[in-house]
Amino acid sequence: MTGAEIVMHAEDVHKSFGRLEVLKGISLEVTKGETICIIGPSGSGKTTFLRCINHLEKIDSGRIEVNGHLIGYRQRGDRLVEDSERNIARQRTQIGMVFQRFNLFPHKTALENVTEGPIQVLDMEKRHAVDKAKMLLSRVGLADKVDTYPGKLSGGQQQRVAIARALAMEPALILFDEATSALDPEAIGDVLYIMGELAHEGMTMIVVTHEMGFAREAADRVVMMDDGLIIEEGTPEHFFVAPEHARTKLFLSKIL
Amino acid sequence: MHALVAVDLHIIWQQVFHPHSVFFRTLWATVYISIISQAAGVLLGLLAALARMSRFAPLRWISGVYVWIFRGTPVLVQIFYIYFAFSWPTLHFGFWTVPDAAIAGIVALSINEGAYMREIIRAGIDSVDRGQMEAAKSVGMTYGMAMRRIILPQAARVIVPPLGNEFNNMMKTTSLVYTIGVFEMFAFAEQNYSQFFIADYFLAVAVWYLMLTTVWTFIQAYIERRLAVSERGDELSFRERLQAAWNPMTSWARGGGG
Ligand SMILES: Nc1ncnc2c1ncn2[C@@H]1O[C@H](COP(=O)(O)OP(=O)(O)O)[C@@H](O)[C@H]1O
Ligand SMILES: [Mg+2]
Repeated sequence: MTGAEIVMHAEDVHKSFGRLEVLKGISLEVTKGETICIIGPSGSGKTTFLRCINHLEKIDSGRIEVNGHLIGYRQRGDRLVEDSERNIARQRTQIGMVFQRFNLFPHKTALENVTEGPIQVLDMEKRHAVDKAKMLLSRVGLADKVDTYPGKLSGGQQQRVAIARALAMEPALILFDEATSALDPEAIGDVLYIMGELAHEGMTMIVVTHEMGFAREAADRVVMMDDGLIIEEGTPEHFFVAPEHARTKLFLSKIL
Repeated sequence: MHALVAVDLHIIWQQVFHPHSVFFRTLWATVYISIISQAAGVLLGLLAALARMSRFAPLRWISGVYVWIFRGTPVLVQIFYIYFAFSWPTLHFGFWTVPDAAIAGIVALSINEGAYMREIIRAGIDSVDRGQMEAAKSVGMTYGMAMRRIILPQAARVIVPPLGNEFNNMMKTTSLVYTIGVFEMFAFAEQNYSQFFIADYFLAVAVWYLMLTTVWTFIQAYIERRLAVSERGDELSFRERLQAAWNPMTSWARGGGG
């Protein structure tokens, strides 16, 4: 993989909640344009790992870099100290996140949800931001819902607005945390289709999902997490034809 | 002709409908003391609520002690202490003079109110889904910006109803500052009473308080209905929202549509 531009680099990431060690040394590298699917049983630390990547959770040890910049910390001598709030906020503009429960801003229209970040955080000119947001909303099939509030949108529509909201920041990387788990079957297809398109267009994505069809179609690499560790990593073919690890086999046999 | 309760309708009529011009000065004092104290109380309550949620422990302690003291002691005692323990300036804004006692009264009422507002504001912030802060941070907002633009506007719909009740209380509580010599509505009634010994001055001032709180009830209902409309997420223009606020049926009809 030499020569490829590394977008996300995680090295021996450890994270505990009190006594519970949730991440026990995660290392992962994602290159530009790659789509990584993270699979694994519930409670294995997938969400926690994603949240560490944009520093919604502090890590206990290890390091995470995005576009070569250390996330959440500054190097001081041989120690890492937490970075300033302003710097962390600036780093997050490079890391989009799509949540299982959408988390749209309910007091803002679909359009305002998408323009909020560009206007308030990136200081983009309002007219420009609105044009861009309309373009993104029509891309996710919601051109006619521009002025609708989230409360009036279905789950699938809300999640598509959330994807547009993430895209509007032009991030280097988008994190998807079970983006389709809260949706009904038809909506799942719509959202996965959009995610698949993004993957093909070269967006760099880390996707936590239980949708094995999506992993097979869209992933460049699949990563299996279990009990706070990455236990197996490989191409979709490797995973779905000949997984090595017993726990992976067990997990896949349950889910497929 | 001596009934047990003698109501002098003439005095009431005169005091309510044709009050002396001095009365309007005292009405104004009651109004501005209420509004400034409530506004400052909201601000203090917000600061105390944010301090209460701070990662910095001493701020949490300060917030806790503040509420403990000011909710645990009589507001009248607070008013007296603040007035007599410090020296307050008299402020002049053109024709409008705010005497030192009124300043002290406003300070005392504001600090007292802040202690109650802290709980109300905290409950409002707590009512907002935690995912909102995370989503705001994910688009690069700082804590302060997320609070201002995402969390507090949503907390408002939980904060506004009890805040309205607080203001209703505030308008009545301002009568206590008469005890430190502020010439407000109640002081006017009291002064007339001690001159003429006619209790109906108190009845007349009660009618005035009732008018103030009643007007406020309408304003409060209007604000709450507006918030409820925007919460339902209707695609209404500002004008439609105004209309909907006055006529709940229209907003229900719209709210039913897909
Ligand atoms: N904020 C938290 N405080 C305490 N424990 C947590 C917290 N978040 C997650 N956990 C625990 O960490 C473990 C991993 O959770 P999570 O990362 O959500 O797993 P996954 O997304 O793979 O299902 C679980 O046991 C969960 O209960
Ligand atoms: Mg999870």
